[in-house]
Amino acid sequence: MSMLRTIKPKNARVKRALEKREPQIEEGDKTAIFVRGNSTSERVRLAMQDLYALKRPHAISFSRKNDIHPFEDASSLEFFSGKNDASLFLTGLHSKKRPHDLIFTRMFDGKVLDMIELGIEEIKSIKEFESPKSSVGARPLVVFHSDLFDTHPTYQLLKSILLDFFGGKAVSEVPVTAVEHVISITAGPLASSSSASDSASLPHVHFRVYTMKALPSGGGKPRAELVEMGPSLDLSVRRVQEANEDTWKMATKRPKVAKKDVEKGLGKKRKNIETDEMGDKVGRIHLEKQDLGKLQSRKVKAFKTGKGSAKVQED
Amino acid sequence: MDVSQDLADYAAKHSSNLLARPQPADVDLGYLAAFDTTPTDAELYSSSRDSHLRDLALASVSTLLNSLFALPKTSSPLGPVVRPPAPTTVLPREKPLPKPKPPTKWERFAKEKGISHVKKDKVVWDEEKQDWVKRWGRGGKNKEAEDQWLHEVKGGDNADHDPAATARAERKARIAKNTAQQNANLASASSSKEARKAELNRSMLISKTSTASLGKFDKKIEGEPKARGVKRKFDGVVEHDWKDEKAKALDVLRGVESGEKRKVKGTAREEGAVNVRKAVRGLGRDGPGNDRGVKGKGKKGRR
Repeated sequence: MSMLRTIKPKNARVKRALEKREPQIEEGDKTAIFVRGNSTSERVRLAMQDLYALKRPHAISFSRKNDIHPFEDASSLEFFSGKNDASLFLTGLHSKKRPHDLIFTRMFDGKVLDMIELGIEEIKSIKEFESPKSSVGARPLVVFHSDLFDTHPTYQLLKSILLDFFGGKAVSEVPVTAVEHVISITAGPLASSSSASDSASLPHVHFRVYTMKALPSGGGKPRAELVEMGPSLDLSVRRVQEANEDTWKMATKRPKVAKKDVEKGLGKKRKNIETDEMGDKVGRIHLEKQDLGKLQSRKVKAFKTGKGSAKVQED
Repeated sequence: MDVSQDLADYAAKHSSNLLARPQPADVDLGYLAAFDTTPTDAELYSSSRDSHLRDLALASVSTLLNSLFALPKTSSPLGPVVRPPAPTTVLPREKPLPKPKPPTKWERFAKEKGISHVKKDKVVWDEEKQDWVKRWGRGGKNKEAEDQWLHEVKGGDNADHDPAATARAERKARIAKNTAQQNANLASASSSKEARKAELNRSMLISKTSTASLGKFDKKIEGEPKARGVKRKFDGVVEHDWKDEKAKALDVLRGVESGEKRKVKGTAREEGAVNVRKAVRGLGRDGPGNDRGVKGKGKKGRR
């Protein structure tokens, strides 16, 4: 009996699926799981529903309640992460101590990397705004306002998590006219009397989503018009769990990729597609002349070749 | 009807005047993000929050769009496309960087000898058929010897010699050899030398206990590891650590209270590993009846 027991794929489909889950040089969009705790409030449900709509198609919504308290025990999140190959979580909870609670969790290598807990102070859902909505899968612009996102460690973490959640992976190509909406995140002014470490006095964070219409203006410079699309969330910052320093280091390691490889599809196999000196993508397609003699006509049993007889006929 | 608010909103929406910022927002085009690091204006924030938030967003968005449109555009079916530079903000990866695949034994040998490997084609040219045939698989070239309709029998062969069966057996042996080599490569790639040694020791102990006499009359090999079971240890009757005993008893009680399942010793191991304690349990005792541990193995492992 061998100690070694790797899961050996039984067919090519499973093999491909397993290979897709293995670590890649260039990663795709992170999938987010939206999961409710045992008790939730109307606000939490609305917020999760709307944020799920924003995050789609890279999102999985769990329909059942789960006994989850990420700050106390994250084992179920780790389990879900492994099962679904997802690395972002939004957990919705509601309790007397922490009403209308949203917990953003980020995973690395199947383990919790960092977490931040936000309370919903006010919410206006998408449905309450009568405005055009962005289409599913459209990539938003993400803008942050306030010096806190640059200086305060909690807000830095919040910025990082929200950008990861809604900004997603780095883009290599953007169709400029395809930008449809903007996610704007603003922190309120820091109250002058408060000390920075007191979590009760941390200013609220305002999450707003606008649809954008680029208007023509002089000089070829675009002018945008913003219409609020929703959801509109006013959030208070609660508990925070920062990443372990070593894990963070591991997680932010960059692969060494040559520029040539970047243009050639970043370590992924891209057959017959090249980028020429002018930066244009050139594809090569091989076509054979169609042989009409092999055209499939009516199938009759008498024409069928058995397993053994195929060779005989060829001879 | 008070429409002043609506009018103000309309004016704000349609005015081309952007909110004046002391410094423009930092732009990270790779993530299509902008960061305005000016502190939020407390007065505007408290008096007209929503319109102020929109003004802020508008200001950053126009900065972002300006730098996006400043990039060289190429045409595509989706309209003009820009290629933003790599992002400057550091966001964590989802999974660690892929580890380089450890070389197989052949690859190590080839590197040492300077042999460059040429990948074999899946098809080979068949001179007789004047066509490309598969190297392996259904109707493959490797089955040529066993599939031919007439076999040559040499003079020295036995009367019951079956050339087709022999060819097939040879092919199967080659497959088995290759599989064994693959497994050996996998094993050497995944486990350290010590782990492999421990594994071999374990396999040996199991094979020893697999005879009727539990290995008592087997020939000893030189350097053979001694089969050691786990010795039972008892607490002293006189010199006794009472705190320890109390803790143990409380532990049992806690287990009963919480209803947690009794943890079977030796389950906290890698799945599929051999439980040595059980494997050698019967060794020290006389009589072959004490092999319960070995027998029941298949059922205990958690799935």
